[in-house]
Amino acid sequence: MPGRPPIGKPDLNRLRVSFGKDGRLAYLGHIEIINTIMRSVRRAGLHFSVGNGFARRMRIQFSQALPVGAASTCECYDLYLTERVDADEALAALADSSPTALAPTRAAYVGSRLPALEAWLTRSLWQVRILGSGAGFDAASLDASLHELQEVGSIDFMRGDTPRTIGLADTLVGWQARDVDGGRPGAIDLTLMTRSSNLGALRPAVLLDAAFARPCMGGARPDSMRVLRAGQWHEDESGRLVEPFDQNLLQRA
Amino acid sequence: MRLAREDRFDELEPLLGKVTHPARYLDHEWGAMEDQPGPFHVCMIYADTYEVGQPNLGIAILYNELNRAEGISCERAYLPWVDMSALMRERGVPLLSLETSSPVASFDIVGFTLAHELVASNVIETLDLAGIAIRADERDEEDPLVIAGGPSAWNCEPLVPMFDAVLLGDGEQEIVDVARCVRDARAEGLPRAQILRRLSKVDGVYIPSLYDVVCDESSTRWGYAVPRPGTDVPEVVYKRCIPDLAATEPVAQRIIPYMGIVQDRFALEVLRGCARGCRFCQAGMTYRPVRERPAEQVIDAVGEGLSATGYDECSLSSLSTTDHSQCAEILTQLNERARQTGVRISIPSQRLDSFGVDMAAAVSGSRKGGLTFAPEAGTQRLRDVINKNVTDEDLERAARNAFEQGWRRMKLYYMMGLPTETDEDILAITAAARRVLEIGREVCGRPRKGKGGVSVSISVAVFVPKCYTPFQWAGQLQRDEVRRRQQLLLNSAQDRDIRISYHDSDVSVIEGALSKMGRAGFDVIYGAWRRGCRFDAWSDQFRYDLWLEAGRAAGYDLEEVAAEAFPLDARLPWDHTSPGVGKGFLQREWRRAMGGVTTPDCTMTSCTGCGVCPTLGVSNMIAGDRHAG
Ligand code: SF4
Repeated sequence: MPGRPPIGKPDLNRLRVSFGKDGRLAYLGHIEIINTIMRSVRRAGLHFSVGNGFARRMRIQFSQALPVGAASTCECYDLYLTERVDADEALAALADSSPTALAPTRAAYVGSRLPALEAWLTRSLWQVRILGSGAGFDAASLDASLHELQEVGSIDFMRGDTPRTIGLADTLVGWQARDVDGGRPGAIDLTLMTRSSNLGALRPAVLLDAAFARPCMGGARPDSMRVLRAGQWHEDESGRLVEPFDQNLLQRA
Repeated sequence: MRLAREDRFDELEPLLGKVTHPARYLDHEWGAMEDQPGPFHVCMIYADTYEVGQPNLGIAILYNELNRAEGISCERAYLPWVDMSALMRERGVPLLSLETSSPVASFDIVGFTLAHELVASNVIETLDLAGIAIRADERDEEDPLVIAGGPSAWNCEPLVPMFDAVLLGDGEQEIVDVARCVRDARAEGLPRAQILRRLSKVDGVYIPSLYDVVCDESSTRWGYAVPRPGTDVPEVVYKRCIPDLAATEPVAQRIIPYMGIVQDRFALEVLRGCARGCRFCQAGMTYRPVRERPAEQVIDAVGEGLSATGYDECSLSSLSTTDHSQCAEILTQLNERARQTGVRISIPSQRLDSFGVDMAAAVSGSRKGGLTFAPEAGTQRLRDVINKNVTDEDLERAARNAFEQGWRRMKLYYMMGLPTETDEDILAITAAARRVLEIGREVCGRPRKGKGGVSVSISVAVFVPKCYTPFQWAGQLQRDEVRRRQQLLLNSAQDRDIRISYHDSDVSVIEGALSKMGRAGFDVIYGAWRRGCRFDAWSDQFRYDLWLEAGRAAGYDLEEVAAEAFPLDARLPWDHTSPGVGKGFLQREWRRAMGGVTTPDCTMTSCTGCGVCPTLGVSNMIAGDRHAG
């Protein structure tokens, strides 16, 4: 899939960093996350590369935007450094300079010619906790509704004031729904695997809104949904899932 | 009622997905003091949204000072936007602090910073949402003490029915003294009334409930305040003043927001006070004397602040940064470092002379957006009246210099409705803009079409007479006359490259009325809030009709209130508090204004007798040598 090219020159050091987004910050937007991390990088005192453009921006590329309202354990960015420091040292400096709710979890150098993260990481694993008081739904009914949706093949939804459609054949890879606490009414844990392409990415909230809107759910509505991205991978041509820190991508000192 | 101190974020969390900008309510920012052991707890409030309040340097300073003090913890709270407050009321969630999500009504002290007049209705809204009794005299023994301070605390009379105490002047030491005093008094088990009496002994603290308002033939209709019989409070409460700014911690901003905020950059206060003596300017009178941080301290603090915050831009803030005696040295050194790190330095306002342009050029690098000057009045006559000591030649020279250095857009700030203003003064504004435009075209040439040409924009505010200025006796220009003069200005522009914008005259009427009223004005503010007024500084929320209605219900015509001139010898509603500038000096300045006589800047010549230094035992602290530009 054609994606954005990497922004680093071959002589720059491309440090890949993964980080989590704590539940409290679930409602931070992508731009807010980017700005916060760029400030953390500055505070860490790392020698980052700066673009040639008018604004002289830090050379950094992020994985695909996490939807507002979602937490994560597996976000990534690639930071281009002019000076190579030990990856563990860089990680420690970043950990010291980041808000705990966005703490980095791993850092390693990767090949400078790899594609940009945003388009490369195409598969996401989501864990959704759905809670509703008074119930009216359970894992089985949600499962049935998702199957119906899959047969319909697409979802029409609104993004702000703009009507959108997303196809499910490519984007919805699979799911598993189970009742929490051995069948407490209206509490479901849903595990969801999605695939993004240049045609779009399926957001869990969009899928679940559509699922709950189906007649088979009988008008039941959850009170709250806690969405967590629990994994991100690249899916290669053979369908194999490649981790962002796959051994083959790492660059040894 | 005092609420229990407990983390109630789980009540707020379900609302986050339903409101605009949920990042306003999250906390856990870098630098926020999440650990709040107390045991004495203060909550500082800026009664507007997070993104407007968070950049406030005053709150940042007080937050640090309180958290540094042994046994005292300080948190922040802002006023939720209307969508969030509606949901909170619906679900019975009170206003919470950011750091620990504790109810604001559970704190020992709740402190408001009053940044401008229009915050009035938001203070009521904040107290109501917090579940704290709005009037101080309706609070229980255990309720938080509600205090206020900040630049707009100078005529606080219309607001004081809400405040247990008002802190005048520089707050960094005062706030800690106040917190300690309340803590100790509470520990001794003193009743609220006695705590307030004890607080009245703290330098710079005004306790409104210990003063009665008297109305007689010596006063305006708003009366004047005198110590309540049987209390031993001073007749005049003077402001607190930090003698040496350099002795205070320079890096105040330690919290880095997640969301984009107004002025999203590291700000460093390089000097406090301004003695230029513009007669309309309240800050110029109330922040005296001038105290500079030495260049070395500024340069070190910028380095420390940028690496502690991670910002890539630093603003050297003050009332008049280019007046700093070591401004050139500071900018040269900072620019040298900035070039190596990709950091930008900015200065908020330029002096209207070549030095100002040179300094602006020093920080702008290749970015040349608009350059702003503030001549404030169109004719030399009126500039003499307001004591704006610049000439037409200064403006022309500065403009030529700026165009030669590469600027293409010039912004000129003026005021309308200044005392003695005539149509001639208004027409002179566009004449000045035309001259600047001509100079620009002469220097830069005239482009064939569209882009790349020079342009001048004029921004015209309505003059609001403020207390403790030489113009405090003036009435505000009537709204209809403001509109006529605005039209006159618009009609006189006649060039596509001159753009004119002006302030809403309705908003100015309310600002004017709030600046004039005495304690009885609280009924108007309360009535306006009851009718739905809040976020009055947001043009889409401001409701002039409701304010007028509230005024009428309380027996006032607010347009008339704003337009009322006070006799020069009248006792004024704010005479019992003082920034140290003498009333005699202000009266003399008023007379000089009427005679068109200017008064020089005491940091560049000699003392002009405003009274601050002898009254407060302080003096100007100038790091190098100042000289007129
Ligand atoms: S007392 Fe004199 S020196 Fe001090 S600020 Fe006033 S005019 Fe300036």
